Amino acid sequence: MNAATSKNRPDQLKLLEYDKAESIINKYGIQKPEAAYVYSKEEATAFAQKGKIALKVISEKALHKSKSGVIAINLDATSAGKSYTALYSKAKRNNLSPFKILAQRMSEPGTEIIIGANTDEQFGKLILIGLGGVYVETFKDVSVRTCPINEYDATSMLRELRAYRIIAPEQRTERMLVSLLMRVSKMVASNEWIKELDLNPVIINKEGYSAVDIRIML
Amino acid sequence: MDKKKLDLFFNPGSVAIIGASENPDKVGHVIMQNYIDVGFSGMIYPINKNAKTVLGRKAYKNIKDVRSKVDLAVIAIPVEGVSRALDECGSSGVRCAIVVTSGFSEVGRDDLQDELTRISNKYSMPVLGPNCLGVMDMRSRVDTMFLPTFKLDKPKIGGVTFVSQSGAVGSTVLDMISHEGFGLAKFISYGNAAVIDEVDILEYLMHDDNTKVVLFYMEGVKRGREFIDTVKRFTQIKPIIIAKGGTTPDGSKAAHSHTASLAGSATAYEAVFRQFGLIHVNDIDDLLSYGKIFDTEGVANGKRVAIITNGGGTGVLATDALYLNGLELAEMSSDSKAKLEKVMPKIVNVRMPLDMAGDADDKRFAAAMDVVTNDKNVDMVMVIALFQTPGADSRVAATLIHYKSNSPKPIVVVSPGGNYAQVHNQMMEGSGLPVYESPSSAARALKALFDYSEYIRNTRDIYGKGIKKGK
Repeated sequence: MNAATSKNRPDQLKLLEYDKAESIINKYGIQKPEAAYVYSKEEATAFAQKGKIALKVISEKALHKSKSGVIAINLDATSAGKSYTALYSKAKRNNLSPFKILAQRMSEPGTEIIIGANTDEQFGKLILIGLGGVYVETFKDVSVRTCPINEYDATSMLRELRAYRIIAPEQRTERMLVSLLMRVSKMVASNEWIKELDLNPVIINKEGYSAVDIRIML
Repeated sequence: MDKKKLDLFFNPGSVAIIGASENPDKVGHVIMQNYIDVGFSGMIYPINKNAKTVLGRKAYKNIKDVRSKVDLAVIAIPVEGVSRALDECGSSGVRCAIVVTSGFSEVGRDDLQDELTRISNKYSMPVLGPNCLGVMDMRSRVDTMFLPTFKLDKPKIGGVTFVSQSGAVGSTVLDMISHEGFGLAKFISYGNAAVIDEVDILEYLMHDDNTKVVLFYMEGVKRGREFIDTVKRFTQIKPIIIAKGGTTPDGSKAAHSHTASLAGSATAYEAVFRQFGLIHVNDIDDLLSYGKIFDTEGVANGKRVAIITNGGGTGVLATDALYLNGLELAEMSSDSKAKLEKVMPKIVNVRMPLDMAGDADDKRFAAAMDVVTNDKNVDMVMVIALFQTPGADSRVAATLIHYKSNSPKPIVVVSPGGNYAQVHNQMMEGSGLPVYESPSSAARALKALFDYSEYIRNTRDIYGKGIKKGK
């Protein structure tokens, strides 16, 4: 969850490894791009054969990937290998070891939103939704509920956003996001060990939605 | 917590005042004097180790010396003696106690406060406080407050119960309520909540027939998840209007040292209030202003508001205020318009806002109210009655009161002004018609009523199952 609503305690919380995060996300039916760890430039190139990819350095020491610059996007089969090597050296240079490099299929562009969760000492799990990217910090246009949420809660969360019509321009999108919010709520409410969750951004495009960045803190 | 035991605080047959004194500077003196002043009908036992009598009643050296049954003990002695006195109450069979004394968790003495909790558990004796004003019940005339009656106006009897963690906010608001049109059912100041906390209090008030609306000032809850479970059911039965102190980082620090409440994040509180239908306000003015409309008005079936006015400019401001608060200006049915064309003078343009002109008298108000309150396109009515105009006098106030008592639709009056207006405002408020000083405060109150009504419509099937809605 973003700084607008929670104290960041990276000193106390531990990042869940990507493959474990991925498997719990899958279990609750939350859509995300196809992804795999790659361990060589050949593997990166092979992964890029079926469509454009992003490469991300996954390390406890680089929680904000875009800020630390250890991410490369829009790579095809010709550029993926070179980017892999460059990213690998950069991560070494920046002292990010131990690290892994994740290859992820690029999603169609669309509206970026954030869905987050954290743990309040008094009321337990909270869930948040808002317009993503730089907007969440600037406008603080987010809505928050305690978990678990029901369908009414999820709907009213969306509708109270000023960006409601940007995020959910159609009935279909609204229904899709209501279902997504309820899945996320169910996931954090039934897994006590998840202390914080950041799906930032979730891209909403004509194919549906895709949680392109997943961060779960223990 | 046994609910019947909480009831004892409000209806004790006998009261012991530990620390009752002849010295008017002592808190125990004021409490005792208040009991006598309000005409409490049960037995009063002053406890004072040095006095033979207090305020003309036989005094006892110790609670143990009182041979008869004591329902409630009010403890108002210096902090050092409190746990011992409370233990003596328990062993003498006192059924419940209020600890007025401060100097516990709010100043870092968690050890002393834990001692009170332990004694309360040992004797299964409910304890309110410490660091609180106690309770006031307008019907049973119980009043444990240590504020002299001449300093504080007392509200009339009504359906609003006010709960305050803080004693200072509590007494100030009580004083202010007494100048509002609505009456009070109960007042509870619960301080540090060593034993009885907000959840216990709400569970009790949920089934208290005298309480129609709850105004709540809190600085934090002790049991978050239980609080959610309680308010979820509570708001299906009656509204809670809540102000929470300590929503800013500095305020939160201040609140913690104040009544020693546990803090969750301000965002979390806001989320809980919104999610479970509590009406959240940011200041005391709104607490009172919303209290007024929820006390008298029923359900808002929609957000279309008709505006009737005897002043054009104020009607325009009111139209803006509706829009700014997310409400809609009603569009009258053609049937209503036709009826109004017949009865209104030619100078009146028959559309919303309905400006009846400065010479509008009670008959014109009556004609408009008759049509508007029966129009299917109108959910709520805002009447602007400017008593400065030539046509408006007491008959206008009486007319509005008449329509108020004959219409199920929420009606509010906007009547700003000096003494002449105030006299009429009191008439109307005294008859259950909420009056506001400005179109914007009226619009905000209507919006709060609409939001709550909408919340109930949306959640009745989720949270309202099996809950009996009292009167």
